[in-house]
Amino acid sequence: MNIKRDISTNAISSFALSALFVLTLLSILLQHIPQKLSSAGDKLLEINAQEGVANAVTTVVVYFRGFDTLGEIAVLFIASFGIGLMLNFQVQNNQNKVKSNFMLQLGARLLFPIILLFGVYVMTYGHLSVGGGFQGGVIIASAVLLMLVSSNHFQLSHRIITLLETFAGVSYVLIGLIGLIVLDSFLGNFLPHSASQLGLLLSGGIVPIIYIIIGIKVGSEMSLIVQNMLQRSDND
Amino acid sequence: MIESILYYFNQTEVIKTIVTLGSMGLFFVGLFGLLSQRHIIKVFISIGIMEIAVFIFFIGLSFQRGLTAPMLGDAHTTFIQMNDPIPHAMILTAIVIGMAVLALGISFAIEYYKLTGKNRLDEMNEMKN
Amino acid sequence: MSSIYFIALPLLFGFATPILAKFGKNGIAYSSILLQVALFVLSLQLFVTMDRSIIEVIAIAPPLGIGFVVNSISLFFVMLFTFFILMASLYYLKLRKLNPYPNEAKFFILINMLLASTIGLVLSSDIFNIYVFFEIAGISAYILSAYRKTPKALEAGLKYLLTGAVASIFLVFAIALLYLHLGTLNLALISQGFTALDSDIKLLISLFLLIGFGLKVEIFPLNFWVTDIYEGSDAFTDALFSAVVVKAYLFVFFHLLYLFLPNKEFTLFLLYLGAVSMLIAEVIALRQNNLKRIFAYSSLGQVGLLFVAFSMQDVISISAGLYILLAHSLAKMVLFLSLASLFEHYKNEDISLLKEMNSPFLRNVIIISMLSLLGIPLLAGFVGKFLLLKTVAFYGLFGLLGLLILSALIESIYYFKIIGLLLIKKETKEQFHPSTLQKFVLLVLTLGVIFVGVAPFAISDFMATSASVMLDTQSYQNLLLGAN
Repeated sequence: MNIKRDISTNAISSFALSALFVLTLLSILLQHIPQKLSSAGDKLLEINAQEGVANAVTTVVVYFRGFDTLGEIAVLFIASFGIGLMLNFQVQNNQNKVKSNFMLQLGARLLFPIILLFGVYVMTYGHLSVGGGFQGGVIIASAVLLMLVSSNHFQLSHRIITLLETFAGVSYVLIGLIGLIVLDSFLGNFLPHSASQLGLLLSGGIVPIIYIIIGIKVGSEMSLIVQNMLQRSDND
Repeated sequence: MIESILYYFNQTEVIKTIVTLGSMGLFFVGLFGLLSQRHIIKVFISIGIMEIAVFIFFIGLSFQRGLTAPMLGDAHTTFIQMNDPIPHAMILTAIVIGMAVLALGISFAIEYYKLTGKNRLDEMNEMKN
Repeated sequence: MSSIYFIALPLLFGFATPILAKFGKNGIAYSSILLQVALFVLSLQLFVTMDRSIIEVIAIAPPLGIGFVVNSISLFFVMLFTFFILMASLYYLKLRKLNPYPNEAKFFILINMLLASTIGLVLSSDIFNIYVFFEIAGISAYILSAYRKTPKALEAGLKYLLTGAVASIFLVFAIALLYLHLGTLNLALISQGFTALDSDIKLLISLFLLIGFGLKVEIFPLNFWVTDIYEGSDAFTDALFSAVVVKAYLFVFFHLLYLFLPNKEFTLFLLYLGAVSMLIAEVIALRQNNLKRIFAYSSLGQVGLLFVAFSMQDVISISAGLYILLAHSLAKMVLFLSLASLFEHYKNEDISLLKEMNSPFLRNVIIISMLSLLGIPLLAGFVGKFLLLKTVAFYGLFGLLGLLILSALIESIYYFKIIGLLLIKKETKEQFHPSTLQKFVLLVLTLGVIFVGVAPFAISDFMATSASVMLDTQSYQNLLLGAN
């Protein structure tokens, strides 16, 4: 009886508190709906054509704000090996695991290369239409998740994934440093990026290269996170 | 009649008001969950909901009707009359960071549960005052 | 010599470590220390050769892009952080013999990421970039807290992560509102436009920034889990948190305060918030028995004092704050590093450790550091506190003065209790001596404490210049906006 009453006072007080907070917030926000300003994004759109990339969001993510993306890659990297650190376990034997349905296994094996191909496509064409490294990497990780869920014996080799990850991360920072040496600005665009090549696959200088590197890194790290959470890795 | 209702709802101001109301409602749900729930997974879910509410608020309010997506396509060959690309880039970064932190938090919670069998915040008092 | 190397090189090292670790553990440790020595030397070289503030451009020039502002206050912090992390890594070289961390390569990745992100926080001039660096520093700190994977450590990491995630939500909300209403992410442009906003939007954004930063900076109503975090983590990581991480967060908070609100609104509120925070922390510390917890409450008190010093927005009080910051970081490094050795050797974390421990070297350095934190003359802590109390009295804020003196008195009660326990005659005959490298590190830090106390005039010019640069919003704006 007493416990029931305690829970309900807690719930009521937090309901009241959060309602008060959000109502105050709403009263201020609804009065000040922001109008269209001439913001930094508009100025970036004007100089975007010089970079030769058809997708303005990609230029902003990779080039104009490439440092934030480098930081975000660092966060993902640290989180991925943090999860690997925390979830250390012995490789269990799979005897008492339920074998999945035949249709699931067959379907997953049919779909896996197709999803992988789609992920690579999204990654590579990120500078031409919607997509990019992050999106493609997550699609690849979802394909890996499908295989992990459907089959009890599938696992990615930890060694190869770490190799891919390291190669991608190191080359990202090295490209930035080369930009520093050649152009005196970190992550400067030092490969040819003429505006006449807008819309072609080989355009934009370092932008598609960096996005592919980001895609490799995000794909491998997310696959590793998924595998660790499913507790099926040979962590060495 | 229907035309005028649709026209009314298709204006930028009204869309922005609806987005504000909806995302703040979501924020309220997340905040209520954060303050009242004690199970650690529910707390993480509430934090995730709050983050998503902020992202929806930001993206929704940086939309301007009549302008198109900031990329070239068949009908657009130059970068004029386009929406702002910076909020999209910012939210992309923020989504990935938020997801990474939550995934790490869940792995902490899993490991803690394996070692002590506790998964409620008010029972987690390994350190007595 | 670009200041990007401070961030790019540790990141490169961190990314490459999983493969380099296959070549041997000692290689990672020594190359990490080599990298930190190189960065410290680079920071000294920048300090010596720099005669005016410079901007490092990343991809495109600010205000459209991101730039790093290198002026004397940024260099002060860069030198401080590289020095402290170098000292901590050197100390760790011998500490790992007694009780190594599992998976040591990952530990060095985290230390380097912490270095890169705290330096990035201090140098950056773009508010979203600052948020990304907050996240990098935060996530490294969460994993460092929970590294040992004991239930205590995991609980500390979990609580740290929860507070950090909630702080991030409020920070993103504030940045979103700033971008929606001002259209820019550059600090100089925001500071120009911020005063022109409507007052309730300004209040809302300031409130969100205060909540977001306040959770990280550990100020009064929002620091309920901080001492649990300090108690659950290793003493070694507590040294890094207390001396490096919190100082970086404090700098960012006050840097943004001076840029956004140059008209000294909220000053009185922040002053009393800091003083109340210090008083409450010192009062709670009286009843604690765990050594890490006692020093954690002492850190919270000093953070309150720093809040008071920086909130007054006066050049003398800011340079007093810089002195206090330097003294506090040096002293807390010494304290937590020696506690790390003592805990490993005696396996006791309670205050009764002080009675049973018998180590003359460690006892002496601990006593000197604690006297410095109290504010005894001829040691580093005295200069800052004296300047601060003088400035508070000059402005006529006698209530504040009373609160600060009361907190200092309460702090001295438990400090003298600890010093008394350290000085009684020990029964155990065998003495514990830390290794030579550890003695060297502790000696360097203690000599720093004594030097700053005895000869504060040696660095007073630099402190005054840094303080005035930190307060000077106009030249910051001119620097960033005139570069285009």
